[in-house]
Amino acid sequence: MKTIVITGASSGIGLETACTLTKKGFNVLGVARSEANCSRAEEKILSENPDANITFFLADLMQQREVHRVAEEINKYLNERCDGELYALINNAGCVRSWYMTTEEGYEQQFALNHLASFLLTYKLMPALIKAHGRVIMTGSESHKGIKVHWDNVKLFRRYNPLTAYKQSKLCNILFAKGLNDRYAAAGIRAYVVDPGLVNTDIGNKETGSLVNLIWSIRKRYGVSPEIPARTFAFLCEQEIPPEGLYYCLCKEKNYSRQVTSENADRLFELSERLCDIHYGRVQMI
Amino acid sequence: MNVMITGAAGGLGRALANECGRRGYNMFLTDINEEGLLCIKRGLERQYDVVVAAAACDLTNPESVDKMLDVIDKYGIRFDMLLNIAGLDFEGGFIERDREKLVKIVSLNNAATLRITHAILKRRRPGKPFTIVFVSSLASMFPMPLKATYAASKRFLLDFAVSLRQELKRENVNILTLCPGGMVTTRETLCSIKAQGFWGNVTTNPLESVARNTIDRALSGKCIYVPGILNRVLSFLGKIIPRSWIAAVIYWRWNNAQSKWLNNH
Ligand SMILES: NC(=O)c1ccc[n+]([C@@H]2O[C@H](COP(=O)([O-])OP(=O)(O)OC[C@H]3O[C@@H](n4cnc5c(N)ncnc54)[C@H](OP(=O)(O)O)[C@@H]3O)[C@@H](O)[C@H]2O)c1
Repeated sequence: MKTIVITGASSGIGLETACTLTKKGFNVLGVARSEANCSRAEEKILSENPDANITFFLADLMQQREVHRVAEEINKYLNERCDGELYALINNAGCVRSWYMTTEEGYEQQFALNHLASFLLTYKLMPALIKAHGRVIMTGSESHKGIKVHWDNVKLFRRYNPLTAYKQSKLCNILFAKGLNDRYAAAGIRAYVVDPGLVNTDIGNKETGSLVNLIWSIRKRYGVSPEIPARTFAFLCEQEIPPEGLYYCLCKEKNYSRQVTSENADRLFELSERLCDIHYGRVQMI
Repeated sequence: MNVMITGAAGGLGRALANECGRRGYNMFLTDINEEGLLCIKRGLERQYDVVVAAAACDLTNPESVDKMLDVIDKYGIRFDMLLNIAGLDFEGGFIERDREKLVKIVSLNNAATLRITHAILKRRRPGKPFTIVFVSSLASMFPMPLKATYAASKRFLLDFAVSLRQELKRENVNILTLCPGGMVTTRETLCSIKAQGFWGNVTTNPLESVARNTIDRALSGKCIYVPGILNRVLSFLGKIIPRSWIAAVIYWRWNNAQSKWLNNH
């Protein structure tokens, strides 16, 4: 059985994707921060499919030491039960903020969770991914368009605009995927970004201020059900031969921003490696 | 520039440490939370080309402070700036609170702040200007029923800082007192600001600009910094309206906010 890790699997898009993938017979490992939401999610998945293979791991992925810890737990699980193979990693956990808030390391929270956590977790699970010629999928967004990475001020410390910080973190997702393909395609790894579209989830109602809360409560009513993006994740996981594209929506390839170049991806790798204190290295390990 | 920051692992402490890092200042960080302290030290070193030293310390414990000072003296560190950020707050009625927790507010916010300020003033770089920042609060401008101890401890800091500033002018020391409204630093502060509804939102200050302006103003010799126009109006009203009236209004408001907050938990 193929194993898939999904972060942020306790609600919204991640939960629906976990549901769909267990129904297709994958062994799903969910990662999320809240015990209550994880057990509620597990209940929902099992009620729809009593034979589902689902295990939850608790971690606040915003904090790097938590990413390290949970990655070790997952690697142990993979080594004991899956021959050390990870077929896919779906980096989906994400957040929206209204204020400049920082993590323990002093990094801006949207950048830390939406991008750095994926960057670090992927690195830690890379040996297992390589062993299975696996896939890495990020939940991106159309909002990655029309913006550049603020290289001199990534944390947007000066004049913080929460929406810009969100858009930038989503541009980082796709630059990260591009950089992974540049580095690991030869090792059999493929990275993708899924644009879920506007989806009816509570993302804008968690730890945000009244204004963002209100706007999101109105906006999300126009969103589709999380089942729609879940199909695209399933599509990317199910293809025997890995699809060639980078950016997908509704199971089809889509155009992405012109900012997505190998040069910018290299720059993001360099910066993120420094902020996580890790080194992907250009050499493929096999 | 060598800066000492207390309470460096908390939300405001981290923001100020980031600001100092951006300016290329070297830092000595302390906090009671050792794990958090190591995280922010690491984060700063990865982002900025500065030297960051850190030592966990319970500022309310004189022995713990002495131990930290021994480390400082061993390396002969001399400081140009002290940011007194460490402080704490428990909300709620006086008699409902735990006695020792109440006393702790004063022993950290006041006694410990005096202790470390005295110690670091003695270790300032000779012949150079020195800067101190005290973090008081908008709460220091009013009598605050249900936050009585906290508000009074912040009032102590404000009055103390303004007096000390005058005393030390001749020594080329400037002292700034920061009196912010709410700042969203953690999920808890976010909840409490939400519970205060409209007033919570409008008195909230953006953390990143408060951090930047605080250092700017401290360096340019200012005395008090109340961020936000509305907060400045409120602090002015605090000076002209009779204190017993203010106490009545604030009691009414906090009572509402707190019951709302408690209902949500
Ligand atoms: N909704 C949209 O319209 C939309 C559009 C474009 C892109 N996206 C992207 O889709 C992804 C999922 O969003 P969603 O709409 O499904 O939101 P959601 O319902 O809020 O789901 C986010 C998931 O991440 C988890 N999470 C949040 N903070 C975490 C942390 N610090 N550590 C670990 N897990 C954490 C959440 O856990 P809890 O259950 O405990 O909250 C939840 O499981 C995000 O990356 C988002 O940027 C969404």
